[in-house]
Amino acid sequence: MQVPDNCQIYDLTCYWTWMGSDGIGRTKVKPRAEVTITESMENSAAVNRLYTTKKFPLLIDARNIKSISKEARDFFSIQNRSTNINSFAVIIDSPLSRIIGNFFMGLNKPSVPAKLFNNEQDAIMWLKQYL
Amino acid sequence: MAKTIFVRSMSSNEIETDSAKIRSEKILEVIMSYARLDFSEKTIISDKADVYDAIGAGVNMLGEELKSSVVSLREKEQLLREIHHRVKNNMQIISSLLNLQTHNVKDRDFLSLITESRNRINSMALVHEMLYATTDFSKINFKDYTTTLCKSIYQSYKKPDMKINFFIHIPVNISLEIDTMIHLGMILNEIISNSLKYAFDTNEGTISVLLNQMNSKYFLSVEDDGKGLPLGFNQEKDGNLGMQLIHMLTEQLNGSMKMESSSGVIYKIEF
Repeated sequence: MQVPDNCQIYDLTCYWTWMGSDGIGRTKVKPRAEVTITESMENSAAVNRLYTTKKFPLLIDARNIKSISKEARDFFSIQNRSTNINSFAVIIDSPLSRIIGNFFMGLNKPSVPAKLFNNEQDAIMWLKQYL
Repeated sequence: MAKTIFVRSMSSNEIETDSAKIRSEKILEVIMSYARLDFSEKTIISDKADVYDAIGAGVNMLGEELKSSVVSLREKEQLLREIHHRVKNNMQIISSLLNLQTHNVKDRDFLSLITESRNRINSMALVHEMLYATTDFSKINFKDYTTTLCKSIYQSYKKPDMKINFFIHIPVNISLEIDTMIHLGMILNEIISNSLKYAFDTNEGTISVLLNQMNSKYFLSVEDDGKGLPLGFNQEKDGNLGMQLIHMLTEQLNGSMKMESSSGVIYKIEF
C-alpha cells in the first residue's frame, strides 16, 4: 500500500493514516513498529479526524508490524467505545503479521465487521460493501 | 614449541542452525516461565519477521492473555472470599443481636427459642466461614464441617455435668456443594440439638454421625443412645419446628428420611 503525496497524511509514531479518494480510510503500519496503547490511541484519534458526515470502512496494512501489546489489541477491538469506522480489513503477509492478525481477530473479537486479507485488492473489494 | 590451533570456520548453514537453536531455546524458556505463571519474561522479536519471530510473538500474546485471565481469576476469587466473609460476619452479627435480646430475661422458653435460632444461624454461618478458607469456594469437606458443627452445638447446650461423646464416621474425601451443605447443616443442627436437649437423662451418652456413599447416593445416619422417643410419639402431632425443618430440608435435597426409636433415636437420611 503506497502512502500518497497528494492528500493530507497523518504521520504518526507507528502509522501513516489518510483518507483514500474512494472513501475508504487507510492506515499503514510503519516498518518494525511496536504498537502500544499510546500509539493505538494516537492512530484512533487520527482515524476519527478523517470522519466527515458518515461512518466509513478502514483498510489497515499491518505487514510491517513487529509487535502489538494486549492493551492496544483490546483498544483496537472497539469494544465499549465510540468510533467513526463501520468495518475494517487488515492486510497481512509475513508469518509474524499473520500470527498477530489472527490473534487479534480470534482473541479480541472486534465489534465491527473485520477480516484478514493477504492482498490489498481483495481487502478493498470486501470493504466497498460498507461504503 | 608453539602449539598449532586449527580453527574451522562455520558455514552459513551452520550459523543459521546455531541461531535457530538459540532462538528456539529462548522461546522455550519463556513458555516454561509462563507455565510457572511468571509473566516477567517475553520473547525478543528480531527484525527478520520470520517464523521464529511469529512463534515468539504468538507466545508473547498468549502470555499476555494468560496473565490477564490469571489476574482476573485472582480478583474474582478475592471478591468471592470477601463475600463469604461478609455473609459469615453478618450472620454472626444477627446471632449476637439475638443474644443481646436474652439479657435480663428469665423466661426459659424464650431463652430456648433464642438458642435454637442462634444455632440455626451458626450452622449456616459455618458453611460460609469454611468456604472462604477453601481454594475453589464451591465445596466443603463434610467431615470437617460436621466435627466443627457438633462442637459448636454441644457448647451451646452443655451443662457443667454433661459428658456426651461424639462419634463421627465420615470418609475424609467427601466434599459437598454449598447449597447441599446449608441444608445438611440445618438438618444436623436440629437432630443433634434434639438429642442434647431431650435424649439423655443421665447427662452421659454418645451421638454418632455416619455417612456412606454409594454411587451418586449418600446415606446419612445420626443416632443417639439416649432414652428414645416417648411412647406413642407422633411425628406430625408431637413434632416441633425442628422436626418440621428436618422433613422440609430433606425434601429440598430430593431425599427421604426415616426415624426409628428403641433404646435411642436414629435418623436415616438418604439424598
